[in-house]
Amino acid sequence: MRRPFVFAAATLLAACLLWPGWVGAFQSEGTVRIGGMWPLSGPAAFFGKAAHGLASLAVDEINEAGGLVVEGKRVKLALHAQDEACNAEQGLAVVKRLATVDKVIFSLGPGCSSVAEPVFGTLQKKLGDASDSGLQLLFFTDIATKFGLAKLSPWVFRNTPDEPAMYDFVVKYLKEKHPDLKTVMVSYESDFAHSAATWNLAVKPALERHKHHQIVEVVDWRWLDNEFGAQVTRLRKANADVYFSLTHTPSTCPSMLELKRQRVKPKMVIGITSLAGTEVLQQCPDVAAGIIAPSNFAPITPRAKQVADKAWERYKADSNIHSVPAYENVHLMKGLIEKAAIKNTEDTLLADRRKLRDQLAKVGTFQGVVGKITMRPEDDPVKPRDVDKDMILVQIKAAKWDVFWAPEHLKRN
Amino acid sequence: MGTALFDGTEQLINGLMYGCFYALVGGGFTLLFGVLRRFNLAYGSTIMAGAYAGLIPVYLFKAPVLVLFVTTIVVSVLVGLLVEFCCFRFLRKGHELAPLMTTIGMLIVIDETIVHLTDAVGLKYPAPFGDESLALGPFLIRPDYLAILVVSIACFSAIFWLMHRTRFGRAMRAVAERPEAAQILGVSVRRVNVLTFVLTSAMAGIIGFFAAVSVGSARPEMAAWLTGKGLVVMVLGGLGSFPGAILGGLALGVLEFEAVWFLGSSYRDILAFSILFLILMVRPGGLLGSRPA
Amino acid sequence: MEYYIAIASIIGIHAMLGLSVYLVAISGQMSFGQQGFFALGAYLAGMSTALWGLHLLPALALGVVVAAVVGLLVGFPALRVRGLYLAIATFGFGEIVRLAFLNVRYTRRIGDRVVGPNASEGFRHVRYIYDRGITPLEYLGIILLALAVVVVLFFALERSKLGATLRAVEEDEVAASMVGINVTRAKVFGFTAAAGVAGLAGGLFVHYSSYIDHDMVALPLAIASVTYPIFGGLGSFVGPLLGAVVLVGLTESLRALHDAREIIYGALIILTMLFRPRGLVDEALVLRVKGWLRPRAVRRPAPAP
Repeated sequence: MRRPFVFAAATLLAACLLWPGWVGAFQSEGTVRIGGMWPLSGPAAFFGKAAHGLASLAVDEINEAGGLVVEGKRVKLALHAQDEACNAEQGLAVVKRLATVDKVIFSLGPGCSSVAEPVFGTLQKKLGDASDSGLQLLFFTDIATKFGLAKLSPWVFRNTPDEPAMYDFVVKYLKEKHPDLKTVMVSYESDFAHSAATWNLAVKPALERHKHHQIVEVVDWRWLDNEFGAQVTRLRKANADVYFSLTHTPSTCPSMLELKRQRVKPKMVIGITSLAGTEVLQQCPDVAAGIIAPSNFAPITPRAKQVADKAWERYKADSNIHSVPAYENVHLMKGLIEKAAIKNTEDTLLADRRKLRDQLAKVGTFQGVVGKITMRPEDDPVKPRDVDKDMILVQIKAAKWDVFWAPEHLKRN
Repeated sequence: MGTALFDGTEQLINGLMYGCFYALVGGGFTLLFGVLRRFNLAYGSTIMAGAYAGLIPVYLFKAPVLVLFVTTIVVSVLVGLLVEFCCFRFLRKGHELAPLMTTIGMLIVIDETIVHLTDAVGLKYPAPFGDESLALGPFLIRPDYLAILVVSIACFSAIFWLMHRTRFGRAMRAVAERPEAAQILGVSVRRVNVLTFVLTSAMAGIIGFFAAVSVGSARPEMAAWLTGKGLVVMVLGGLGSFPGAILGGLALGVLEFEAVWFLGSSYRDILAFSILFLILMVRPGGLLGSRPA
Repeated sequence: MEYYIAIASIIGIHAMLGLSVYLVAISGQMSFGQQGFFALGAYLAGMSTALWGLHLLPALALGVVVAAVVGLLVGFPALRVRGLYLAIATFGFGEIVRLAFLNVRYTRRIGDRVVGPNASEGFRHVRYIYDRGITPLEYLGIILLALAVVVVLFFALERSKLGATLRAVEEDEVAASMVGINVTRAKVFGFTAAAGVAGLAGGLFVHYSSYIDHDMVALPLAIASVTYPIFGGLGSFVGPLLGAVVLVGLTESLRALHDAREIIYGALIILTMLFRPRGLVDEALVLRVKGWLRPRAVRRPAPAP
């Protein structure tokens, strides 16, 4: 009785399953294709959507200014953004899609480290090694901050925060400007690689190196926990001067609220790098007031303000420590694509990627939105293909991020 | 009092109060399961949808908390009815596993709609009970937990009264125990199902309100957390047993607080799941369940 | 092409997970903890090649054996519980395994890399197939071969006495035990074999992805693994296979819808289940197809109404 329906459904389904690989012909459109994979759905979508917005803004700016010159012709940039949903399986499929269906010359993203790990881990490990079947796709990452990701493949470059250096500065700053604040208490998320690594690989070594502070309490919780009473009671008993709250927004807000409930008032609260966005301002501007976070971005220069306003106007995208690099990366790559003398044909795609990669590897210092950024060389022993950039300390004041400290050369602007 | 004993007592008090909250969540699952013999994986999402919707009047025209509370309940009930209509109404008896899938589908639809509308950002929730703990003797007691204690006791009493003293309650129990016999006796099974959804969804609104108040924000991760805890509490107590859900909720609350305090949060879930596993080995029907389903 | 290979590889691996849940389900149980065995297989097989330098085949075998042995140990007590109780008890087991791996640190420095399970930082550098130049297409071949072996075993099982035994246990446990079937043995066998299949899927996955951590074997994987057999149908082992093809396929093919992708995905699941409440390949369909396949002469006339 339902036979026609069943056939219609089966046909629809078959059509659906054949659909994924469909995309416009390569040369006919006269563009240079760049890719991006971010979490655009699911609970991590905030960061992905922001980076997508900032990257789209950069692409718009380039195209409005006439595009770029490839092989003597003016062509436009086209951004192919894909959702990795913070899911490793989807990430592993999407990276192949970007490489072979969307045929992008390089990709931005990914966002989640549990996607970045398998995606970068399955890229080619040694350049030009024919015995290595890893994928050859150039990544210039904006969000995934986990330590050591760029080491996984020579095809991975990152414009992400350098947390060990940032927290080293924070500890040094505290030691010099607030020598009276001696005791330290810490919280981190034991099941969130980024948070745990910020404590184990960045803050703890810095505290030990500067030999000034005394760690009196360290507590941990899960990043999606909802109850922090027991841990905060421990912090209350420790009652230290400085509190390193190395947790992401979902657990920072309720735990800071619990601190307020139990009347724990550390003299200074230092947050994790990822805090410096509007997420925390929408979720708990009051209890988070006073938190200081190291960041690479704040709208302190006219240029930075202009970018942030435009991104919000056009794409409702938040300009923050993780999304602004996407904007910077697109602008940098535009120049490098022109310099790399790529052919921009389907057959030369692999060679073009290699040319672009080699340009990026020797880019050295380039201009970011806020300050200068330096790409470390490939033979760097500590963090090859990662960047050094200016850092700023920002603080939540009256439901806004305010500059707490900035290097002299930025303040003069 | 020794420190360990004092600390243990403090955590016990908090654990019991938080356990009431778990009991409410487990109770919602239990009521639905008791009547329908199906379980509703979209219940956590119903709770979350209500919590988010309650914020609309607050953000639009600074409505007072009472309006927020009422909106939360009303929207939860509407979402609950939507779940009933899309995931249960058209499935005949005998398809035990189908509602599992339809409610997973519903869970995805609700969660992703909220993510789509809010960019997955948590939204600030008002603090109607103040945000400073009360010092009662040597203990610090959270005012919102006290409110949960009072409201959950009120809820449980109301449900017991409803189940055992009203016509609707009798019909509900009849449908739960023998749906065919109830039908023959003139009880409209569909009506009871719908009313059960209205009841549990109203509970979902209350849960959503307190869940958001306790962390100070409505967040997209709420649904998975509440579903997980609710299922564990329901099974721990015994499927379909409402007193079991209360006992299970209190037990889980106390266990979690003591484990975090004495062992650290790394061991909390390992311990909770190990104990759940052991209890089910010894009592395959849960703490107060009569027999395995 | 590579994109389709990637989708097919994931379908192959997830189909195995679906079959694993299906194998528990045909004896009337529902397991929500197969991701725990998946994790065991993944970590063990990954350690075998990356740390101990084993060949891929014994590595996968080791993952299967460890997962199956744990399955046996868990199965004996766990199968005292039934239905939803078992679903939650097994989910508890899966979470215990996951949280255990969150705390396991067992690393060694090989060259300039630190290899091995590294607690919350995850397990990196399982690059066996990529270092040996095994292309994604060849590895897809390996996955499909493994899947084929599993499917052949399932095919044999469905026709064997044991398969009939398991089905009988699903239909009516008491009756089954009265006709002399050792119900516990049948159920524990099913659970152990299912654990082994999940372990195989894990071993294949970790070599495909080069990386595994506790986040990848959490609740979403548990939900995915039960959706394949329920969506695909429990009438035949074709059900979970079809379920994995359609659901993983839909995840990718709905990309053109951008932001609405997941919402439509959820809605499609609901709609499908309303029209086919026992899954795509339900018992009625299986009977009908068997009817078509059977030669007409042998077909007995339908009994008079």
